[in-house]
Amino acid sequence: MIEFRGVNKWFGPLHVLKDITLSVEPREVVVVCGPSGSGKSTLIRCINGLEATQDGDLVVDDKRVGDPATNMTLLRTEIGFVFQQFNLYPHKTALENVTLAPTHVRKTPRAEAEKAGRELLAKVGLADKFNAYPSELSGGQQQRVAIARCLGMRPKIMLFDEPTSALDPEMISEVLDVMIAVAEEGMTMMVVTHEMGFARRVAQRVVFMDQGAIVESGTPEEFFSAPRTDRSRAFLSKILRH
Amino acid sequence: MLENFSFRTIVEYLPLFGQGLVATVWLSLVSFVGALAVGIVLCAMNLQRGRLLQAPAKIYIDAIRATPLLVQLYFLYFGLPRLGIILPEFVVGILALALNSGAYLAEIIRAGILSISRGQVEAGVASGMTYVQRMRLVILPQAFRVTIPPLLGQAIVLVKDSALLSLISVAELTRAGQLLASDRFMPAEGFITTAACYLVLYYGLKGLAGLSEWWLGLRPMGSRA
Repeated sequence: MIEFRGVNKWFGPLHVLKDITLSVEPREVVVVCGPSGSGKSTLIRCINGLEATQDGDLVVDDKRVGDPATNMTLLRTEIGFVFQQFNLYPHKTALENVTLAPTHVRKTPRAEAEKAGRELLAKVGLADKFNAYPSELSGGQQQRVAIARCLGMRPKIMLFDEPTSALDPEMISEVLDVMIAVAEEGMTMMVVTHEMGFARRVAQRVVFMDQGAIVESGTPEEFFSAPRTDRSRAFLSKILRH
Repeated sequence: MLENFSFRTIVEYLPLFGQGLVATVWLSLVSFVGALAVGIVLCAMNLQRGRLLQAPAKIYIDAIRATPLLVQLYFLYFGLPRLGIILPEFVVGILALALNSGAYLAEIIRAGILSISRGQVEAGVASGMTYVQRMRLVILPQAFRVTIPPLLGQAIVLVKDSALLSLISVAELTRAGQLLASDRFMPAEGFITTAACYLVLYYGLKGLAGLSEWWLGLRPMGSRA
């Protein structure tokens, strides 16, 4: 479903992705972790073309990303992206946030989109917040609206860029619960996160990145109980110490 | 001091000031609509990455902002006929105000658009919106709100600038004051009445600004980085 073959990327002189080779199967959930600045956000931002790669092949849903022959706008409708800062549309209500892209991009009839939107908001536990504006919602509620907004497009892939990093601790689990439910329905997911409980519960694979390269990749059990490299051991000792 | 001040003459000339007020209002209104069109086009050109459209827009905006409106007005009024383009005075006046104010509006609109966070653009991109859809559905509605107060500020400037049209004998408010001053040798009466009329227009626009802020306040919008 997602395949990186020898992908490289530079920000000016900075080599941010180094020879990335990684394949994600349909219905697979892959957690990407690593220290700050290791390139994990850049990695998933390349998948829907928010960042451009400079070298190597990146194939998503059988289409080559960055190829002039690929309609990226169309490909993006198949890929949901959840941002660290939610990025909800502040001038739209929760329901309008969910229905905006389906009605204008997918051309779904309004009534149908609204019905689906209400169901999705109910599914993420916000049945009473249809008409609330983002500024009236807590961080955890906003992030759940953002997830519903992605699901409204019925994507094949969902990407999460540190979805709980901007949240107060007591709101993290309500967002993780929604993500777990999405994963259990068989969504193909790549999740940049340090939430190891989430990784253990739903991920088939954990990818550890450092300085732009994939250092280690394995099942959550392998990675957490027997990390193979010094760098991953050092990283785990830091995040699991508390 | 006031024994020489003739309220009677002012009353006598009130119909003239009334006509001037009406003229200033519609001249300003038409000019402002024109300025908006000029501003939107310039701003769209200025926001392009390619130099080809950006450079002319930047040069135009600089040229307008660096030169006095009076010089621009004279250039059009005296210059255009020499090029074989003969237009009525009021059209030249509207043209000058629209071209001048448009440059300022372009910068106001651009600031509004750039104030919308990168994350909003990315959210639109990620959901598969085209450039036009993003602008129409996500960026412009938000930019519009932050732009209303400076737009109305520029409208107030435009109303005052329209006084310069009296110099090319367009019959508007300041011209009415001039007429009273020269016909009856009463500059104090003439220009105080003119000034009072501008004050009325100013409060009208200020009220409009307040009204728009009240309306926007009804629809909450928390900004988020």
